[in-house]
Amino acid sequence: MHHRVTALIRLIAVSGVATVAAMAPAGAALAQQMGGELIVVQGSNPPSLDAMNTSSGASRNINMNVYETLYGFNENVEPIPILAEGVDISEDGLTYVFTLRQGVKFHNGDEMMASDVKASMERYRKVGATGTLLEPVANIEVTGDYEVTFTMKAPTPTFLEAFSSPRAPAVIIPEEDGAAEPGKTSLVGTGPYKITEYVPDSHVTIEKFADYSQDMDHEGMDGFGGKKTAYLDTVTFRIIPEPGAQVAALEAGEVHILEAIPAPAARRLEGNADIEIQENLQWAFGTLILNVNEAPTDNVKFREAVQVALNMEEIVGIAAEGVFELNHGWTYPNSIYNVGDIGANYYNQGDVERAKALLAEAGYNGEEFSILTDNSIPFHGRSAVVIAEQLKAAGINAVINQVDWPTALNLRMQDTGWNGWTLTMGIEPYLGPAAIVSTLTGARPHFVKNDPVLDGLYQELIAGATPEARKETFAKIQEQLYTYFGIIKLGDTGQLQATRSNVKGFKTFRFPRVYDVWLEN
Amino acid sequence: MALFLVRRLLSAIPVLLVVSLMTFLIMWLVPGDVSAEIGGTDATAEQIAQIRAQLGIDRPILERALSWYGNLFQGDLGYSYLLGRSVVDAVLERLPVTLSLTALALVFATIIGTLLGILAAVRHNSWLDQTAMVAALVGLSIPDFWFGIVLIILFGVSLGWLPTGGFVPITEDVWGWARTMALPAFTLAITQMGVIARMTRSSMLDVLNQDYIRTARAKGMRGPTVIFKHALRNAMVPIITVVGVTTGVLLSGAVVIEQVFSLPGVGRLIIGSIQRRDFPVIQGGLLVTACVFVFVNIVVDMLYGVFDPRVRDDR
Amino acid sequence: MTAEIETLPEDGGSLRRQMRKARWRAFGVFLKRLVAHRSFLIGAIILVLFSAVALFADLLAPYAPNRNNYRFILMPPSAEFWFGTDGYGRDILSRVIYGTRVSLFIGVTVVLFTGILGTLLGTLASYVSWLDALIMRGLDGLMAFPGVLLAIALASALGPSEITVIIALTVTFTPRTARVVRAGVLVVKGMQYVEAAQAVGAGHARIIFRYILANALSPLIVQLTFVFAVSIIAEAILSFLGVGPPPPAPSLGNIIADGRTYIQEAWWIAVFPGLAIAFAVLGLNLMGDGLRDIIDPRQRNHR
Repeated sequence: MHHRVTALIRLIAVSGVATVAAMAPAGAALAQQMGGELIVVQGSNPPSLDAMNTSSGASRNINMNVYETLYGFNENVEPIPILAEGVDISEDGLTYVFTLRQGVKFHNGDEMMASDVKASMERYRKVGATGTLLEPVANIEVTGDYEVTFTMKAPTPTFLEAFSSPRAPAVIIPEEDGAAEPGKTSLVGTGPYKITEYVPDSHVTIEKFADYSQDMDHEGMDGFGGKKTAYLDTVTFRIIPEPGAQVAALEAGEVHILEAIPAPAARRLEGNADIEIQENLQWAFGTLILNVNEAPTDNVKFREAVQVALNMEEIVGIAAEGVFELNHGWTYPNSIYNVGDIGANYYNQGDVERAKALLAEAGYNGEEFSILTDNSIPFHGRSAVVIAEQLKAAGINAVINQVDWPTALNLRMQDTGWNGWTLTMGIEPYLGPAAIVSTLTGARPHFVKNDPVLDGLYQELIAGATPEARKETFAKIQEQLYTYFGIIKLGDTGQLQATRSNVKGFKTFRFPRVYDVWLEN
Repeated sequence: MALFLVRRLLSAIPVLLVVSLMTFLIMWLVPGDVSAEIGGTDATAEQIAQIRAQLGIDRPILERALSWYGNLFQGDLGYSYLLGRSVVDAVLERLPVTLSLTALALVFATIIGTLLGILAAVRHNSWLDQTAMVAALVGLSIPDFWFGIVLIILFGVSLGWLPTGGFVPITEDVWGWARTMALPAFTLAITQMGVIARMTRSSMLDVLNQDYIRTARAKGMRGPTVIFKHALRNAMVPIITVVGVTTGVLLSGAVVIEQVFSLPGVGRLIIGSIQRRDFPVIQGGLLVTACVFVFVNIVVDMLYGVFDPRVRDDR
Repeated sequence: MTAEIETLPEDGGSLRRQMRKARWRAFGVFLKRLVAHRSFLIGAIILVLFSAVALFADLLAPYAPNRNNYRFILMPPSAEFWFGTDGYGRDILSRVIYGTRVSLFIGVTVVLFTGILGTLLGTLASYVSWLDALIMRGLDGLMAFPGVLLAIALASALGPSEITVIIALTVTFTPRTARVVRAGVLVVKGMQYVEAAQAVGAGHARIIFRYILANALSPLIVQLTFVFAVSIIAEAILSFLGVGPPPPAPSLGNIIADGRTYIQEAWWIAVFPGLAIAFAVLGLNLMGDGLRDIIDPRQRNHR
C-alpha cells in the first residue's frame, strides 16, 4: 500500500514538472490572444485591498496585480527595480538615491512623481503592516521630480531585500491617499490591472489598465517585476469557501484557475484533458512552535522529547495530503544558505523510547500539553491532530485546542495558556533566513520568551556584509534552533494549483499573476 | 384588524431588544477585537491601542451598549470597522440574496410539501402514502451541506444544467437569478419539505375524517373539489403554523447554504463579521434578520385570520 | 388519561388513591398501545440498536478510532476496512461506532436541558400570570436569533466543543418546548380535577407537579423526541461550520464535515456516518410519530 500512495505522489510531481516544462517553450511559440474574462478562485475574502496594510495572502493574490513597489523580487528572489529605474547607494551605506521610471501612470490618470513616492513611504511607516522595515530610514526626501533620497540611521546591508518584501508590500499610491486611514484609500495603483468592483463574500473584479506603462528593460515578467502585459479585459477573483464547490466550478468550466486545489482532487483530475495541475513544492514550512514560558514546555529536555518523538513523514504526509518534502533545514534545499546536515539527527525520529527517556530526565509527570490550532488553514488543524496522537503514544498528555484563526492569533499572543502552536510559514522561507529568524527574536518571538543566543546571532546575521558571512552565521543559527527546540520544523509543504487547459502562460508563483496570461478561445 | 396590527408591531419591540441584548452578551464574551484584524499579525502593542481608541472599542461594554441604543433611536446602526461602509448599507446589499434564498425555499417547501402531504392523505395507506412519507423522513435525515455538494456535482458538473454557485440579482437577469437560486433553494427546502408534508398529511387526514366531508362526499361531490375547497381550507391552520416556524428555521439554515453555494448573503456576512470581530455589522445583521423573522410571523398571524376567523380576536 | 375521574369523593386521601390507581391503569393501556404501534416499535428498536452501538463501542470497533496511518490514506471500503479510511488513514467504521457516542450524548443532554428549561419556563409562564408576557417575549427574542449564528458566536467565545453545541442547541430549542408546555398546562389547568384539587386545599407546588405537569407531559415527550432528532442533524451542521465537537474525537457530524471535501474522491467518508445519522433520525421520528398517535386520540386511527 505504501508504494501505491508514494507512486501517486511521484506521478503528480513528475507530471507537475512536465506541465511547466511543456508550457514554457509552447508558450513562447504560441500567439498570445488579447481580450477575454478570466475567473480565478480563492477561498477567503481579501481582508483589505489597501496593499500596505495587510500581510494576508488572500489580499496579496489580488493586490500584486494592481499595485507595484519601487523594488521587488525577481524569479531568483533577488531585488530588482520595478517602479524605480535603479538606486544609487553611497559608499558609507547611508544614502539611497532612488531614480523613478518616467511616464508611469496611476489608474486615476496622473503621472507618478517623487512626491507620490514620499507620501506613500510616510504612510507606509504609519500604517504599513510591516512598517518597521523603514525603521533604519531616518529621512525620506524628494530630491527631484523623479528622484527620492532615503537617509539611513546606520548602514543596513539587508535593507534593499527587506524593502523589496512582498509580505505587506511598500506599494506606491497617489499622494492624495497619503493621509488615508487604513483601508480607506481610493484603491489606485500603477499595476497592469485596476480594481473596479469588490463585493465581499462574492468577488473582486479587476480590469485591464489601458495606460499601463510596461518596464521595457525586461523581456517578460520576472518574479514580482519585469515587463508585464495585460492580455485579458477583466479578471474576476471569485470567493468560494467550499473546496468541493471550487473543484466543481473548475470541472464545470465556470472558472479558470484554482489558487489551491486539494491533492486528492488533483490526483483524480490528472487524466482530464480540460484541466492542468501545477505544483509548487516549495510553498511553505510546516512548523510546531513551543511556548518556552509555560510548563511543561519551559523545560528544554521536554522540548527535545517532543522533537524526537515526532514522525515527520506521517505528520506532513497526512497534513499536506502527500504534497511535501522532508526537510530538517530552515532553508529550502536549493537555497544558497542551505547549511546541510545540522540538526538532521533530531529530525523525523519518531523515537518513542528516546522521548520517554528525555521525559523522565525532564521530570515530566503528565502535565497537559495543549496544542493551539485553528480550523481556517487545513494544514494547521490536521498536523495538530497527528502530532497529538504521536505525542500521546510517547506518554505526553497532549490535547488539542482548535479555535478560529483570529482567536488563535489572540491566544498565541498571551504568554501562558498554550504549549504548542501549529503554523505554516509561507512567505518567510521564501524571503530567506533573516525573515524566519526575525519571527523568533525581537520584542516578542513566536516561542514567547527570548533566547539571548539567538537574538545575538540574528544581529550578526543582518549585519553580515557578504552572503558567505551570513551563511556562516546561519549555520550557527540552525545549530542553536536544534539546541533550544523552541520551534520544530515539520517539513516543506507544497501547493497544488489547477487551471483550465485554455489558460495559457500561467506559471505558479507566490501569488496568481494574471498578467502575461491569456485565454485561448 | 388595525388594532391587531399595532399590537403585534409593538410586541416586536421586546423581541428585538432581547436579540440586541444577546448580541452584547456575546460581544462581551468573545475574546479579541477587530484591532487584530486591522493591525494584522505584525502590529505592535501601541498600534493596537491606537486602533482601539480610534474606534472606541476600548470603552466598557455598558458604555458602548448605551451609545449604540442611543444611535439606534436616531435610526443609525453605525459604521462597519472593516467593510468601508455603513452597517445599513452592508446589510441591505446582502439582504436580496438571503431573502431570495429563503423565500424561494419557502415556496418550494410549502408547495412540494403540501402536495406530497395531500397525496399521501388522499391515498391513505397506499404505496404512494408510504413512499411519500419515507421521502419526507429521508429529507429530514440528510445533513443539507452534504446534500448541497452532491447536487452541485450532479447538476453542475455531471449534467451541466445549472451553475455550481454564485448569485445573479433578479433585477439584472431573471433567468440567471432563477438558475443560480434553484439548487440552493431546493437544498435549503428539503428538510422543511419533509416537515410540511408530514404536517399536511396528518391535518388533512383529520379533516377528511370529519362528518361534513363525509357528508359532502355522500352528496356526490367530486374528489378534487372536496379536497381543495373544503378539506385543504380547513387543514390550512396547522399548516400555516408550521410555515411560520419554518421561516425561522430557513433563515438560520440559509447560513449554511450560503456557504456551500458561495452566495453573498447576510448569513455569511455575519459569520465573517464574527470571525473578524466587526461588531457593528454583527449587531446590525442580527437585528435585521430578527426583523424579517418578526415580520413573517406577523404575516402568518394575519393569515390565521384569513383561514380561521375565530383566531383573529384571540390574540 | 384523565377522563376516568368523574365523581370526586369528599375525602382527599381517597381521591389521591383513586387517581393513582387510575393513572396506573391508564399507563398500562398506554404501554400496550405503544408496543402494538408499528412505527413506534420500529423506531424504538432502531434507537435501542443505536444506543447499544454507542454503549459497546469499545467492543464493537475493530480499530482505535483516532489511530492515524499514513500508509492507508483514503482507502475505499474493503474486507480490512469495511467503511474505508479517511485522510488520516483512520478506520471509518470505528470512527462511526465511536461517533454515535458523541451524537447520542449531545442528543440526550440537549433533550434533558431543553426538557427541564422548557418545562420550568412554560409552567411559570402559564401559572404565574404576571410572568407570562415577560417570559414569552423573551423566548420570542431567542427564537428570532438564528441558532446557527449563536453557535458560531459561542464557539468564538468558548472554543468549539460539545458543550458549545449543547448550549447553542438548548437555547435554540427551549423556546418552542416552553411553548408546548405552556399550551399543555393552560389546557389542563382549567380542568375539573385540578380545580377540585385546589378546592381540597392542595398546595401550588403539589398541584403543579402532581396534576398539571403530569398531564402536560405527553406533548412535551413528543416534542423532545423531535428535539433529539434535530440535535443529531444539527451537530453535523455545526461541524460543517467548524464549531462542532473538536478533533480528534469522532462525532458523526465531524466525520461527514471532514469528508465533504472528498465527496468525489472518497464518497465513503461522508456516506457511512450520514447513513448512521439518517438511521437514528428515522428511528426517533418514527418513535415521535407513534407517541403522538397514541397520545392524541383524534389521530389514533391514521396509521
